[in-house]
Amino acid sequence: MTDISNGAGVPRKPTSKELVAASLKGRRRKEKRLQWIGIGAIAIAFVTLFILVSSLVSTGRYAFTQTHLTFEVFVDPEEVTPARLPRGNFDDALAASLGQMLPGVDMDDRATKRGVEGILSNGAQFELRDLVVADPSLIGKTITMKVPVADTFDQLNKGLIDRETPEQLRRVKDNEIVWFDALKEQGAISKPFNLALFTNADSRFPELAGLKGALVGSFWALLTCFLIAFPLGIGSAIYLEEFAPKNKLSDFIEVNINNLAAVPSVVFGLLALAVFIGWFGLPRSAPFVGGLTLALMTMPTIIIATRAALKAVPPSIREAALGLGASKQQVVFQHVLPLAMPGILTGTIIGLAQALGETAPLLLIGMNAFITSAASSPFDSSTALPTQIFIWADSPERGFVSRTSAAILVLLGFLVMMNAVAIFLRQKFERKW
Amino acid sequence: MNDMRKIERDVKMTDTKITARNVNVHYGDTHAIKDVNVDIADKTVTAFIGPSGCGKSTFLRCLNRMNDTIDICRVTGKIELDGQDINDKSIDPVQLRAQVGMVFQKPNPFPKSIYDNIAYGPRIHGLAKSKTDLDEIVERALRRGAIWNEVKDRLDKPGTGLSGGQQQRLCIARAVATEPEILLMDEPCSALDPIATAQVEELIDELRRDYSVVIVTHSMQQAARVSQKTAFFHLGNLVEFNDTDQIFTNPQDSRTESYITGKIG
Repeated sequence: MTDISNGAGVPRKPTSKELVAASLKGRRRKEKRLQWIGIGAIAIAFVTLFILVSSLVSTGRYAFTQTHLTFEVFVDPEEVTPARLPRGNFDDALAASLGQMLPGVDMDDRATKRGVEGILSNGAQFELRDLVVADPSLIGKTITMKVPVADTFDQLNKGLIDRETPEQLRRVKDNEIVWFDALKEQGAISKPFNLALFTNADSRFPELAGLKGALVGSFWALLTCFLIAFPLGIGSAIYLEEFAPKNKLSDFIEVNINNLAAVPSVVFGLLALAVFIGWFGLPRSAPFVGGLTLALMTMPTIIIATRAALKAVPPSIREAALGLGASKQQVVFQHVLPLAMPGILTGTIIGLAQALGETAPLLLIGMNAFITSAASSPFDSSTALPTQIFIWADSPERGFVSRTSAAILVLLGFLVMMNAVAIFLRQKFERKW
Repeated sequence: MNDMRKIERDVKMTDTKITARNVNVHYGDTHAIKDVNVDIADKTVTAFIGPSGCGKSTFLRCLNRMNDTIDICRVTGKIELDGQDINDKSIDPVQLRAQVGMVFQKPNPFPKSIYDNIAYGPRIHGLAKSKTDLDEIVERALRRGAIWNEVKDRLDKPGTGLSGGQQQRLCIARAVATEPEILLMDEPCSALDPIATAQVEELIDELRRDYSVVIVTHSMQQAARVSQKTAFFHLGNLVEFNDTDQIFTNPQDSRTESYITGKIG
């Protein structure tokens, strides 16, 4: 009666082994295809990253050096008198000394004089002033100074200005090139590491502009953000995860926290503008307000990370402690929280790294102001790294192009560092169960 | 002399430590324990046996109110420890659990040093007045847990670094360190190899001198080896509760007989 035994003419039913063999080829092909798609996706991601970083490096690397001019400055008592300090014609004293190094320059010609003055950065006269104010005995003496040159000459020195361009289209004139080459021949031009990029605050003059104000501003903002978001975030997460009754209300809160993590950052900026600055009257452009705003954004991330970390602590540990007669609070604070700490810290650092790169909310509370000194407290006006990048990217001077890229590289450096710390913490303290 | 001691022991055997009357447990809509009545004697090993899901672990967890930690779990009925209702409002579960220790299925030492594992309970309950006091308690507990000789030279090493059997004995030592009156064991040997199991069983027999031990086990051989009293649970009912010898040689209920002969379960 069975089909298989009396099968003359009737096609034999294939065995399951044959069916599996037939389907195997297709399955293997699909697997291969999936693998290739994955490899392709990773390759595209890497290429994009490579293009991004290499373009940043190729433009940004120029900002890490700065052309300097070393020369003898005669502090002319006619231009600088002790009585008038801190005022004085420091720029004239500098120009006169510089003019002597240049062949065939008539310093009595106003246009020429202005041209010679233009070689030096605007900051040079202030540097000289500060020296003389600190030590008035320098008046009448000759001192050696090393000062940054103006942005255009910096560009020329770095080969970013094409000497073949017709003179009227070029930002340095022919005679200026002759002067510069003469100075270079005398060995007065050097190109050391641009320390000013990290020790100066912002400036109108690219050769003087630095990131100190932005770094300090970001530091204050992140500190404020951490001090507020970390305890609040952990506190809410512990309550929600360990103590809150599971009901409609706690579900509602959970959904809202998850939604909060997805709210666009510009909205938080507007909120901060209305509440912190409008209502509470906190100062504009202050890193403290920036930190508060970033804390609003970071808190959901910390809450979610903390809850995940608390959930990951195996129930057996809780049971062990409960079984010994530990109270709920002892279980949480003596066992669960220490075990969840690496996960919590990792989540927090990633949240802070996100906050470090956040621009939009800071723009709205005015942290994109032009401020030429670093904030000494979180309540002073300041910029932050991302907003400084925004300001520089908006500036027309050539020198800011490379500085923008350099600032981005610095920001990326900090982000990579923070993520590396997060990975390190996870690797070091994570426990396998 | 010998006879007198025997009489003394028999009297002790009949001391009832825990009395459970009409205990019902519901997990949400599931009726997990149905009208269980049982008397657990002092200084005796009582085994709970039965097929998976029969409610023996659930009932065990009623005895130190571990089910309180499960939101959907509801316990009704009366459980008395030395005549005191443990579900009474005046009883703090924290205090109860210091009196009724528990050892779990999977060895679960804290990821701390061996010393701190043992010292944790005495510390939170304030049992030690000084460091030397605590050292003594730790040593005594580790000796009772029959693990002192293996770990005495590495008390500062993490408890999680021990072998499975050692971890379980560490957990038992940790449970006895708080000087409980009753020790609940929820399948303490199911994650252990036969040698470690034999060591733990030997230990249980030792512990019987000082404690009332309640052990849940899947293994009928184990129940027969270590216990004096056995309770057979089936589908949430306590089917039969008697001396272990009686249960295994002369079961009164047909379900018990089917289970111990391997027909169900």
